[in-house]
Amino acid sequence: MGRIFKKLTAVLLTLLLCTGCTKEAANMDRWLETAALDAQESPQELYEKALKEDVLIVYTVSTRLAQTKESFEAAYPGLTVELRDVRSPSLIEAVEQNHEKGNRDCDVVLCNDNSGEFKQRLTDKGLVYPYLPEDIAAHRKEGVGGDGASFLLETEMLFYNSGKFDSCPIRNLWELTEEKYRGRIYMPNPLNSFSTYAFCGASMQKETELAEAYRRYSGKEAVPAEGENVAELFWRKVAANIVFTNSSDEVVEALSNGEADFGLCVSSKLRLCELGYTLGPVWELDPFSACVTSYSVMIARDSANVNTAKLFIRYLYGEADGKGEGFLPFRSEGCWSVREDVEDGASVPLSDIDLIYVDQDALIQSKERMNGFWSGIIRESGRRE
Amino acid sequence: MRKAGLVLLVWMLIFAGGCGTTPRPSVLHVAMPVSDKIQDVDSNYYINWLEEKTGLELEITMIRQRSSGEYLEALFSSDADIDVVLFGDSFTVQEEELEKYAEQICPVGDALCYYNNAGSRLSGAGQILWINSGWLKKLGLTIPSTTEELREVLRAFRDGDPNGNGLADEIPLAGIRGSYASSPTEFLLNSFVYNDPYHSRYGVNGEAETLMAETEAFREGLAFVHGLYAEGLLDEGCSARSQRQLCELVNSPVDLVGAFTTASVSDVIYPGNPEILARYVYAPPLRGSEGVCNALYTENRPRVGAIITGRSPRKEEAALLLDTMCGEEASLIARYGERGVDWDYSDGTDVSVYEGPSTIVTKNYLWNTLQNKHLNGIGPMDVPLRYREGVTWNGVNSDTEYVDGHARMAYEKYLPEPGRFHEENAVLSACMDEWIGDFVSGRKDVGSDAEWEEYLKSLQQFY
Repeated sequence: MGRIFKKLTAVLLTLLLCTGCTKEAANMDRWLETAALDAQESPQELYEKALKEDVLIVYTVSTRLAQTKESFEAAYPGLTVELRDVRSPSLIEAVEQNHEKGNRDCDVVLCNDNSGEFKQRLTDKGLVYPYLPEDIAAHRKEGVGGDGASFLLETEMLFYNSGKFDSCPIRNLWELTEEKYRGRIYMPNPLNSFSTYAFCGASMQKETELAEAYRRYSGKEAVPAEGENVAELFWRKVAANIVFTNSSDEVVEALSNGEADFGLCVSSKLRLCELGYTLGPVWELDPFSACVTSYSVMIARDSANVNTAKLFIRYLYGEADGKGEGFLPFRSEGCWSVREDVEDGASVPLSDIDLIYVDQDALIQSKERMNGFWSGIIRESGRRE
Repeated sequence: MRKAGLVLLVWMLIFAGGCGTTPRPSVLHVAMPVSDKIQDVDSNYYINWLEEKTGLELEITMIRQRSSGEYLEALFSSDADIDVVLFGDSFTVQEEELEKYAEQICPVGDALCYYNNAGSRLSGAGQILWINSGWLKKLGLTIPSTTEELREVLRAFRDGDPNGNGLADEIPLAGIRGSYASSPTEFLLNSFVYNDPYHSRYGVNGEAETLMAETEAFREGLAFVHGLYAEGLLDEGCSARSQRQLCELVNSPVDLVGAFTTASVSDVIYPGNPEILARYVYAPPLRGSEGVCNALYTENRPRVGAIITGRSPRKEEAALLLDTMCGEEASLIARYGERGVDWDYSDGTDVSVYEGPSTIVTKNYLWNTLQNKHLNGIGPMDVPLRYREGVTWNGVNSDTEYVDGHARMAYEKYLPEPGRFHEENAVLSACMDEWIGDFVSGRKDVGSDAEWEEYLKSLQQFY
C-alpha cells in the first residue's frame, strides 16, 4: 500500500511539475503572440490601444529620456511614462529580478549594450525584445546594431582639460603612464560603468596595436610581467595615475574644476560644454582614443503595456520620417544617429576618430579574466587612498 | 478506570499548557515623533529587529507636538507611562535644554543624561548652490563662477521666459530666511567674506575672535544681495515662507525656480522625482568682486538621540534598548536599512561617494524617503566614520547621497581648515539675522553710514 502510494505521489508530482512548466512556456508564448512585435501598426492604432493600458515604466540609463517623456506625454494626452533612472548594472539586475519574481514592473529598457552583459543576461535569455517597425528599420545605417535594437551611437573617449590646455598635450596613449599625470586622470570604475568596461575590454583585444604604439612611444619593446599581456601592462601602469569615479559626471566635473588633466567618459557629455564645462575631445591618438558604444531600447518580456511601449519606442526613434521630437534630446554633440535620414548631433563623423570597436562575444569569453584584473586594480587603488 | 484516565488527561493538558507558555517579554513604553518618512512603526523592520535582539516588546507612542520643550513639559507634569523618549526629524532638543529636566531624566554613566545620535550626516560643506541647467541651456548661458556672472544669469532667468509659458512667473533665485542653508543671502555673503551664521558670523581659526559681520567686506556683500533683491532677482524677502513652501516651488511641474541653496537636495527635492532632480546642477562657490570665495563649513556634531525618564520602572530594559541602538549592527540598520537587501559590505571593488575606500554598498537608498526599514535618523545611533565616508553609489541617479556627495566634494577646497570656531552667541545671531533681513529687503539702507553705525551698535550690545 505504502509503495503504491509513493509511486502515485511521484506520478502526480511529475504531472504537476510538467503542467507547471508547460503553463509557464504557454504563458511566455502567449505574451509574445499577444505582443505581436512584428506587426506593422500605425502610431494612431497604437495610441488607441495604449489609451486602455496603464502607466508605462521605463528603466533608463539616460537622464535625457526625461525630455522625451515630457514631449511624448504632450503629444499623446492620456498616456503617462514613469522613468526609473539607473546605472546599467543595476538595470540588468532589476530586469532579471523582475523576471524571477514574476513582477511586471518594467515595460521598456534603455541601456548601454556593449559590455556583453546586456547581450548575455537579457537579450540572449529572451528577457528583452527588440521592436523595430519596418518603416523605421528601412532607414537604419548599414552595419549598425547587430540585434536591431541600438538607437544611438556614442563613444567612450579620452578628453583633456581644455581649460588648462589649448590642445591635446599628448600624441600617444602610453604618455598617460607618465609620473606627471599621477592623480590627474579620472575614469569611471569599469566594473560599474558598461561603456568604460567596453573601452577597457576593446583595448584588451588590441594587444598588437598597443605593443606597436609602445615601440613608437619609447623605442623599446613592451615587457609585460609573466602571465600578463601588453594591454594589462598598459592598464596596470596607467592605473597608478587614475582616480576612479562612480560616473562620467564626476569625470566632467574634475576636468572642469582643474583637478584632472585627462578623463575617460562618454562622448555625449560634450553637450555639457554648453554649460561651461571644459572638455576637450581627443579625436586623434596613437593607437586609439575612443571606443564605440551603443544604446539599445527594447521591450521587456511580460510587459503589461506593450502598445504604449511600441508607441514610445517609435517616438524615441523620431517616427517614420525621423523628424519626431522624441530623438531630439539625443541629437547633441558627441552622439551619432543610427538612421541615415537623421542628422548626427556630433560635429565630427565617427570616421574621423581613432576608434576601436568591441567584440562582445570575445568580451563575454574573457569576462572572468577581465573582472579579476579590474577587481585587483580597483582594490589596489582603494588601498592607495 | 475511565475516571482515572480522565484526571490524568486533564493533568497532562495543564502540564502541557504550562510548558508551552513562554515568559511574556517586558513591555517598554517608547515615545517617538511622528515622521512622514516612516510608513508604519508597528511593522517597521528596525523596530522588529530591536524587539528580537533585546527580547523586549516596544510599545510605541507617537509624539505629535513639534516642540520638544512643550512635549517634555507635558510629559513630566503628567503621569504618562513613558520609559524612553526618542528625538529626531524636526523634533530635536539641545543638551542645555535638557538640564532643566535633570531630575526627571535618568542619568547615563557619570554625567550624560542622554544617548547620542552620531551618523546622520558628515561634517563638511553645509550649503550648496543648485542652478537650473535646463534654463541655462535654453538661454545659452554657462554656469556662473562669479557673483557678477550670477547677476547676469539671474537677469536672463527673469526676462527670458525660460520655462516657456509666456508668463513672467520665473523665480530667478529662491530662498527662505528661516533656514541658513536655504538662504541664498548666506551663500552670497561667502563671496565677500567668510560668513558662518552657525558661529554668529565670527571668523575661524586665527580670526575666530573677529566678528566678520562688522567688516566692510560684509557690508559690500549685503549691498550686492540687496541689489539682487531690488532687481527682483532674489526672492527671499518673504519671511513667512516655510521650507515646505520652498519645496513646493522647486518641485513644481511648471518649472518655476532658477536657483536655490540647500544643505542637501533631499531637503528640497521630493524623493522619486528624477525629472526635477535632473533639472538642477550644482554651481561651485562664486568669486566676489575681490576674488573672495568661501564655502560654509558645517560641523555635524552628535545630537541628542534619546533619554530615559527618571520615573521609568524599567530603566535596565530601557538602557538595554538604547545601548543596542548605539551598537554598530543596529546603527547600520538605522542608517542604511536591512543588510543584504538595502545594503551590504563592499568587497573593495566599488568607489566611495566621498572618494575614500569603499565600505558600504547601498542597493536601495532609503534615507529621507518614505520607507519602513528604519526610523530615518530618529533615536540614538553611532555609525562609525569609516562607513559614513565609505558609502558607495547604488547607480540610481536620484540617489541624493550621491548627488549631494559629489557636490560637497567639489566644495571641499573652498572650506576653511576645520579648527577653532567661536562659540555661537544666540542673541547676537538673532539680532544680526533681523538686521540682515532688513538690509536685504531695503527696510534699512545698507548704503547709509548712519544706519550701518546703528547696526554695529546694536550688535555691540550682545558681545
